[in-house]
Amino acid sequence: MGDVEAKMERLFARQLARATGPDGGVDIRALARMVRSSYEEAERDRLRTDRAMDLMAEELEGANVELERLLQDISVQNLRFEAALGNMPHGLAMLDAAERVLVVNARLGEMLGLPDGAVVPGTTLAEMVAAACAHGFCPGQEAEEATRDIRRSLLSGSAAEIERMAGRRMLLLSSRRMEGSGCVLLVQDITERRAQEARIAHLAQHDVLTGLPNRASFLARIDQALARAQRGEGFALLCLDLDRFKQVNDTLGHPIGDLLLTEVTARLRATLRETDMVARLGGDEFAIIQDLRRQPPDTVALARRIVEVVSAPYLINGHRIVVGTSIGIALAPADGAAADTLLKAADLALYRAKADGRGAWRFFEPAMDARMQERRATEIALRDALEHRNFTLLYQPLLDVGTLRVSGFEALLRWRQPDGTLSLPATFIPLAEETGLIVQIGDWVLREACRAALAWPGQMSVAVNVSSVQFRQPRFVDQVRDALAESGLAPSRLELEVTETIMLQDSAVVVAQLNRLRALGVRIAMDDFGTGYSSLSYLRSFPFDTIKIDRSFVRDLDARGDARAIVGAIVGLGQSLGMRTTAEGVETEAELAGLRRVGCTDAQGFLFSHPIPPEDVPDFLASTASAFPAAAE
Amino acid sequence: MRVAKLSWSPQAGLSSTGDEPQADLVLYFGARPVLAEGGCHQALREAFPGAVVVGCSTGGQSLGLEVEEDGAVGAALRFAGTRVRLATENAIERGASHACGRRLGAALAAPDLAGVLVLSDGLHVNGSALAAGITERLGPGVPVSGGLAGDGAAFAATLVGAGEAAPAERRVAAIGFYGPSVRFGHGSAGGWRRFGPERRITQADGPVLHELDGAPALDLYERYLGDEAQGLPGSALLFPLRIWNPARPGHELVRTVLGVDKAARSMTFAGDMPAGWRAQLMRGGVDGLVSGAAEAARAAAQRCEGAAGDGLALLVSCIGRRLLMGQRTAEEIEAVAAQFPPGQPILGFYSYGELSPLAASGHCELHNQTMTVTLLREAA
Repeated sequence: MGDVEAKMERLFARQLARATGPDGGVDIRALARMVRSSYEEAERDRLRTDRAMDLMAEELEGANVELERLLQDISVQNLRFEAALGNMPHGLAMLDAAERVLVVNARLGEMLGLPDGAVVPGTTLAEMVAAACAHGFCPGQEAEEATRDIRRSLLSGSAAEIERMAGRRMLLLSSRRMEGSGCVLLVQDITERRAQEARIAHLAQHDVLTGLPNRASFLARIDQALARAQRGEGFALLCLDLDRFKQVNDTLGHPIGDLLLTEVTARLRATLRETDMVARLGGDEFAIIQDLRRQPPDTVALARRIVEVVSAPYLINGHRIVVGTSIGIALAPADGAAADTLLKAADLALYRAKADGRGAWRFFEPAMDARMQERRATEIALRDALEHRNFTLLYQPLLDVGTLRVSGFEALLRWRQPDGTLSLPATFIPLAEETGLIVQIGDWVLREACRAALAWPGQMSVAVNVSSVQFRQPRFVDQVRDALAESGLAPSRLELEVTETIMLQDSAVVVAQLNRLRALGVRIAMDDFGTGYSSLSYLRSFPFDTIKIDRSFVRDLDARGDARAIVGAIVGLGQSLGMRTTAEGVETEAELAGLRRVGCTDAQGFLFSHPIPPEDVPDFLASTASAFPAAAE
Repeated sequence: MRVAKLSWSPQAGLSSTGDEPQADLVLYFGARPVLAEGGCHQALREAFPGAVVVGCSTGGQSLGLEVEEDGAVGAALRFAGTRVRLATENAIERGASHACGRRLGAALAAPDLAGVLVLSDGLHVNGSALAAGITERLGPGVPVSGGLAGDGAAFAATLVGAGEAAPAERRVAAIGFYGPSVRFGHGSAGGWRRFGPERRITQADGPVLHELDGAPALDLYERYLGDEAQGLPGSALLFPLRIWNPARPGHELVRTVLGVDKAARSMTFAGDMPAGWRAQLMRGGVDGLVSGAAEAARAAAQRCEGAAGDGLALLVSCIGRRLLMGQRTAEEIEAVAAQFPPGQPILGFYSYGELSPLAASGHCELHNQTMTVTLLREAA
């Protein structure tokens, strides 16, 4: 009898027992109810099972569709992952805990110089490194050692990155632990980066144009030399700059100036011993450390040689150029124990050398420092004078040589000192020009002169001297316009006196500036005519209104025939070009007579009047009519 | 240890297989309407004045191999050298189940405590929390078993009577067994088969399950039950839910439904349903469940080896099993009996949840849809 049958039999036996009364009689109705009920139970269970199976199949089908979709997603994800791996700039290998490659990109093989397919999933780290070593990875190192190194420093996590050569390339290897186990090995080609860093480091220490050490690295070298100097190994510090270099830049342009600096550098290098060192501090400034350990340490001979070689003519792009150099010398450790004090000492000596005439060299002396301090004090006093209006203008009359009538005045600047005395411009204008203060001082002079002239009768003009520094600055024309507008003076009554030094600058720019001034309606005079090199050419480049003849010619007018001839020529030139001629520094009647003879139009000088304060101008004008009666004729 | 079998009905009153009124402990199980009258409890207290009398309502009870739905059955136990002590907790709220468990543990704790039998309200107590509370206080060394009272397929009210207190709702009774000679064998097994896809508990709140895989849990049950969904929550017992923590695979529990909220589309289970855990439907066949019952009995017998005498085999089986097996329910009791020597006294009831230690940890846990066998014997 089968198992199921036995169970059914037992069930029926139980049903029968339940339906059997105490008397042994069977309640057929109750038995039938129980039997029917057990059929129903079985049927319900079967239906329930069928239904559950159908639903489960449905659910599983849904789950299967979802799984398929996920698989599809994963396969797309895989393609993306492979594309990313293939296109990344780094070489990459994922290693499992047993150091076997799980994933690798082609870039890794390229970087290690390996043929295609040399590293594939399953390759061990040791095999990969051995193959790479055979192709130039880790030169000078055995493959096993290289593998050990990588394992120790990267896979153990002790170092974040290591650098290794592969042929001529520099590779940066790094690794990251993967979740679970294993790691990702990354390889980066940093050859370019390293080269770039080296270039940047060089640039930081060297001058781009000449390749010489720059100021920063030169200061460091001085410090090193100073440390040696403490042990008695002294050195000389030579600072030099080029005379007239600025003019080369201005007239021939910066490219030529740069070529000149390169050439100077070559000459300096050729002049120095190996133990000496030259640097470019900026612009046309150079500095040299001369090692004095070796005998004979002849610094003077070096300075002389440098002046010689630098001063020899240069031929650059067809231009023959002559520059000179001045040299300041400081000795270490005597003249300074720190780089900056030593440089300052050499600078002061250089300043002195330039002041003493070009092509010179000077050793630092403590007195130079004192003179420098004095200059600084003067500069402070000048600023103070500007602020507190301690400048004043005196006016020297200009007279018509023919009528001896006053045609105008030249404004002359004076600096009132605390003791009441007046300083002449020669004592402070150079410093004002050097410091740029001239711009503000010049502006004040312009306004003050225009304001004063407005009080004068008729068409009397005022002449104002313009510094080349003042003239060069772009706002100068605006300053003139403002001064005129502010005072209300007619532009034709203002005459600006410029010197030849202005014309030394880029002539096209200068002429343009002069034309803008002329357009305002002011007159322009060429001052100190005849003292420069090529005055005549300036007269061609711009139609000045007036030529002022330098006092040196006037003074000799009486005594020397050549002076008479020169003055005559200048006046003649003026007549033929339609320019007035004004003689400066007329002190005697004889000089006046001489000027009258050659036809000079105007004159000024002590013969007529010293410069006078503005409040004296009305009295002076009143007195001139009687003082020079001839003028009335 | 001596055991007398008892039966009681309103018509026939009490009858016993023994003739002495001396007993230390009387256990009884009966239909809820029968117990609600209080007559049974009173009759037993009078018949055994020196005994601790404890019983509960059921989803069917058995004394021997037959399952009864009417009346009540019981057993009077007289020990040779074992003491028993009763602890009760009344008016329990579901949220206080854990604290209640701790208090019961504390009340019974003693160095010679050898085992604890718990009968609890089946609807207002969180069985998981109750078991955890008791074990927390007693430790895994003391076996705790028992079950939650039942109410047939009605799920309306479950009663526990204990000592002087007549059967009532919201009560938990715990009986401590003390002394060196008592043996407490236990075993628990289901015999259900997992079925259908694995699911994830995505929203739950204590024992209230809201969503599986992001969809209302009640939708799933209604679909699988078809026409039988009308019988909810009882018919949900046909598809118990196996749940486990994915971080601790192998430690799985079976949960059974106590109630449903059709408006909220949620279902309330007999124990916690932690969100994030996995879940899988189960279904059973008579043969599988019968094998499970045999397995539970084998385990209990093994743990009691060496103890002489018959003792008592206390069976707590899930109402869901009875629902599925129908007239063939007796087969699982036969299977249990087959694991014991002939003549072994067997007393049992169909419950709303079974309490038994986990084989692995010894911690008492709430089980559902299992046959739980506790074999109580005394060593010679």
